[in-house]
Amino acid sequence: MGVLSLRQGLHLAAILGLLGAAAFPPYWMFVTSLTPSAALFADRARLLPTLSEAAAYREVFRTIPVATWLVNSAIVATGTTVLSIALAILPAYALSRFRFRGKGIFGFALFATQMLPEAMLVVPLYGIFAQMSLLDSLIGLILANTAFTVPVITWILKGAIDGIPIEVEEAARIDGCSRIDIVLAVVVPLVAPTLAAAAVIAFFHGWNEYVFAQTLVSSEALRTASVGLAGFVGELSTPVHSVMAVSVIYTLPAVIFYLFVQRYVVSGMTAGSVKG
Amino acid sequence: MADERLHGSAWTPYLFMAPAAGYLLFFQGYPLIEELYLSFTSTSLLSPRDHTWVGLDNYRDLFATSDFHHVLWITALYTAACVVLSIGLGLTAALLLDESFPGRAIARTLVTIPWAAPPVAVALVYIWMYNAQYGIFSRTLRALGIASGTENWLDDPSLALPAILLTTVWQIFPFASVVILAALQGVSKEQREAAVIDGADRLSVFAAVVWPTIRPTVALLALFITIWSLRRFDLIWLMTQGGPIGATNTLVIELYRQAFVYRDLGRAAAVGMIGLGTALAMTLVYFRYTQRAERAQGND
Repeated sequence: MGVLSLRQGLHLAAILGLLGAAAFPPYWMFVTSLTPSAALFADRARLLPTLSEAAAYREVFRTIPVATWLVNSAIVATGTTVLSIALAILPAYALSRFRFRGKGIFGFALFATQMLPEAMLVVPLYGIFAQMSLLDSLIGLILANTAFTVPVITWILKGAIDGIPIEVEEAARIDGCSRIDIVLAVVVPLVAPTLAAAAVIAFFHGWNEYVFAQTLVSSEALRTASVGLAGFVGELSTPVHSVMAVSVIYTLPAVIFYLFVQRYVVSGMTAGSVKG
Repeated sequence: MADERLHGSAWTPYLFMAPAAGYLLFFQGYPLIEELYLSFTSTSLLSPRDHTWVGLDNYRDLFATSDFHHVLWITALYTAACVVLSIGLGLTAALLLDESFPGRAIARTLVTIPWAAPPVAVALVYIWMYNAQYGIFSRTLRALGIASGTENWLDDPSLALPAILLTTVWQIFPFASVVILAALQGVSKEQREAAVIDGADRLSVFAAVVWPTIRPTVALLALFITIWSLRRFDLIWLMTQGGPIGATNTLVIELYRQAFVYRDLGRAAAVGMIGLGTALAMTLVYFRYTQRAERAQGND
């Protein structure tokens, strides 16, 4: 062992290059957030974070309503997650276990929702929400986002339910459980890992979403982090390192959360997509 | 199959479908129909309740302008490049990460980080990296003496689209690599070993054994990346607003400009419908292709 062959060396070099390219922008976000303003505009770039600058983060929370933004984003993301999963479980079960007239159409309709841009639906939705007094409310954002996550999650859960042997349910059936009982008591626990993946995907969508949050909400108290952060584009009064600090604070929960359940997300995504 | 062994009433599947179907009809179906209707009317953002029926005028007017031809061209270019580059890079990454090496699990995890980053934050860090004077890209180019490195890529009509593409591909190639990596688990070890024993080089092994196994997955990925690229908004809007001089003006950006900059909801809806038609056409092409591929395999 000890000495790498040329091929292994090239292979490792390629992988390191790939990881460097993937990790550099988040790293640069972090370095910039911990670099004093003067150094950002000096002749030479600092490639390492200046850890003594950590106070900049406290400063950001003092001068920018980051905490409010994050709480709003968390509310929207959590609401979207809960509502999407509640709505997706039953159709996922039905698509997996029943044959019925209209199944193909419903399946295609789920797929077709992937083609609708938020920017296109935002105008009619604005009108609908105005009539229902859902404008300028986080509930409205949750409702709008859920429409976009339900199809994906239904598909992923269907893939997972396909993998459960029918015999497991038959035993419960003989014991006289109703269909809904079976789904909740037998099927849901068995697809728990995929459910975790689906929850993360829905959470992400709510946490990251920008168009609806920008258009359907107007009051500052209900601003989400995506909209707050987007407000820095083209405005020059906030120092670059503060903007990057907010970006880090906003990105970190998403990435950490994702790494945490990464394994399940990957298996859930691929169960849903590869088997299609 | 299943339903014969687990009899429920004939209504059960419909009861199970009803809540989600109703929800989607209300929040997506109905707005879509309204948008379709709007595309045949002249409607202003300032009085969204007053529609004047104009038939196909919005579509006719759009196709009559060279600006819109440019939008279609940019959309095609952006979408095709997203598909080719993301799948190319994703496939390369997947093949690299499929072999065993020390730290493989960590590497597989790290590669997926870009996909987890919120697009708004990604747009902001890239805007900073593309900065003409102080951005890391310009600084690097200057240090290497390759270019003067004083232009902001996002302000240059010929560099803005490549800059947007670089950001997009960075964000979505991990997804492609994760999906392809999963498909690679299905490649038969025996076939691979047999090919190697027959003296095939790596490229022929890939073409003869690996590629046929992962091809359906790659085709499905291509469809999804196409559809997502046709609707991607936040990354492009925040970085360039479709500029400079329309260099990054894709259909969705144009839709947003028509609605909120020119305040013409009818025209915006027509742009949206054209985009939707494009996505549907791509889906049909995909289904025709997969059916043909299945038939071809059946005759082998």
